[in-house]
Amino acid sequence: MGSIESEDSCSTSAFMELAIQEAKNALERLEVPVGCVIVENKKVIASGSNRTNETRNATRHAEMEAIDSLLQQWQQDGLSQSDLAKRFSKCVLYVTCEPCIMCAAALSYVGIKEVYYGCANDKFGGCGSILSLHNTSSEYSNLVEGKGYKCTGGILASEAVSLFQTFYERGNPKAPKPHRTVVQS
Amino acid sequence: MVNSNWEIIHIPGKPSYPPTQQPTVSVFASVIDPKLANTLVRKLNNIAPLENLRHVKRVRKSCVDGKTQLSVILCLTDENGTDLDSMAIDLLELTTCYQLSPFVTQVCKYAAITKEEWEEQGKLWPTSFHPPTYNIDGITGFSEEDSKVVFDYMNFVLKLAKSAGCQLVNAAVIVDPSVNQIITSACDEISSWNVNLDDNEVRSLGTNEASISHSVANGSSSSMFNLDGSPDDPQASCSRISCLNPWQLPPPSSSTSCFWHPLRHAAMVAIEYSASRDRRLYPSMGETDERSIQLDSNGTSTVGFPAKRQKTNLPNVNNTDDPPADRVLSKSERPYLCTGYDIYLAWEPCAMCAMALVHQRVRRIFYAFPNPNAGALGSVYRLQGEKSLNHHYAVFQVKLHDEESMAVTNDGIVK
Repeated sequence: MGSIESEDSCSTSAFMELAIQEAKNALERLEVPVGCVIVENKKVIASGSNRTNETRNATRHAEMEAIDSLLQQWQQDGLSQSDLAKRFSKCVLYVTCEPCIMCAAALSYVGIKEVYYGCANDKFGGCGSILSLHNTSSEYSNLVEGKGYKCTGGILASEAVSLFQTFYERGNPKAPKPHRTVVQS
Repeated sequence: MVNSNWEIIHIPGKPSYPPTQQPTVSVFASVIDPKLANTLVRKLNNIAPLENLRHVKRVRKSCVDGKTQLSVILCLTDENGTDLDSMAIDLLELTTCYQLSPFVTQVCKYAAITKEEWEEQGKLWPTSFHPPTYNIDGITGFSEEDSKVVFDYMNFVLKLAKSAGCQLVNAAVIVDPSVNQIITSACDEISSWNVNLDDNEVRSLGTNEASISHSVANGSSSSMFNLDGSPDDPQASCSRISCLNPWQLPPPSSSTSCFWHPLRHAAMVAIEYSASRDRRLYPSMGETDERSIQLDSNGTSTVGFPAKRQKTNLPNVNNTDDPPADRVLSKSERPYLCTGYDIYLAWEPCAMCAMALVHQRVRRIFYAFPNPNAGALGSVYRLQGEKSLNHHYAVFQVKLHDEESMAVTNDGIVK
């Protein structure tokens, strides 16, 4: 049992390392450094990082980039609508920062299976910090019949936070240090 | 007048209650000798400040048997009971010292938003009333002229929502109210996603960039809907309205060329179109520096000021990309995301769309129909009241009244 668990936690951090690499790519493009990978059957099938500045579209978060690339890929492969839904229900997302309210809702709409995130997002977080959109047994469950997903935070959180710090130090040396390092995911 | 029976209702950041049913809390209060009022209030503010009841006045003046009587609030009662012993020791000492006789009474828990609420609150215990002063037009009411503009755009968006035939969809129109111009418009693209984004851009810009035309806007689009947003036409279906059923898999399409994209809700598509419009109109102005705004907004809330666009330049931003000052499109005219813009939606947006509109810095949201399943602006969640968010928009419902649908039906314009 113990060895299986440690193997699992090992692969969890290995996938999170890949997400952090994506976040570093975003940092190099002068974007808020958030990155993610989507994993199916222990294989990375999509990745994404923040492109809000480049696109001037503040919704182009890492998660949305990855979901869009998957949808495009799968539709080009000729998958049907129900195939797509089935595939999403086997996918696990690794993202460096807790999904914001928008992304947390989007992940529920596509029916993702599970989410691992790095640091919490105490301004915008939709997986426990501000709202709990991953959790169908919330106080709204009688109203919202959506799909829930398992969500685990704190994976390599300090690495994710230090990327944010690098970003803000680089981006604006004269600005006061942000009260919170997490601005967006 | 087609629109005379429409009403614009502000949807505030906290739930609203009927004025006579506002939530209250229990407090200890005591009648005091008016000569002691100043001393006692000073002492009380020191040892038992009413931190979360800033709207409640500490002292009540009433008239008993022709004589003025003053009462003062000592403190909140204990959650578990109204036993005097639950008071803090220094308060008990004060009570003994000045021979006060505390009694329990009710005060309103939340500050009044409307004058009606405030008047009711005063019947329990006097409160202060500060009408909202945010710099967002409409919270304190709409002029007749402004209402007309709102109704016209709402008409336009309802027509779009019906434009897909029997299948109703959500629709969105982004407007720059400072010049009364449509920036872009979009419908749900959940099952007809066009992979070629450039195509979409051209289409949306080609047909929508012009100002709203009156021939379009003056038609009575409301005739196609009942009061709750269900279609007047029994043949029409609500099943594909994105924000209403965000978890629902659409029925399999008979056409193989049909794409499925569960996240392309009207508001998301409209944001994308307006971003690509921005890139097209202002191609060489450097990257939007969101960081400056985000850092800036750490301490202060950025309640939409249209004039605030891009004023927050970073000292270290490389300005070589900026156009010369004499160019027609000066940097100050370039919108920062959707700052200062309004969005009109047929249905109240879901959590994804409502948060997207926070990210894109929209100033005001107008919707016609509430979304009891998944609405995030009052129905299920209330994002405009989430204090932690770094941007807050004002939310309005444009409501159709009974008389409206009746009148339209009698005119025979239905369907």
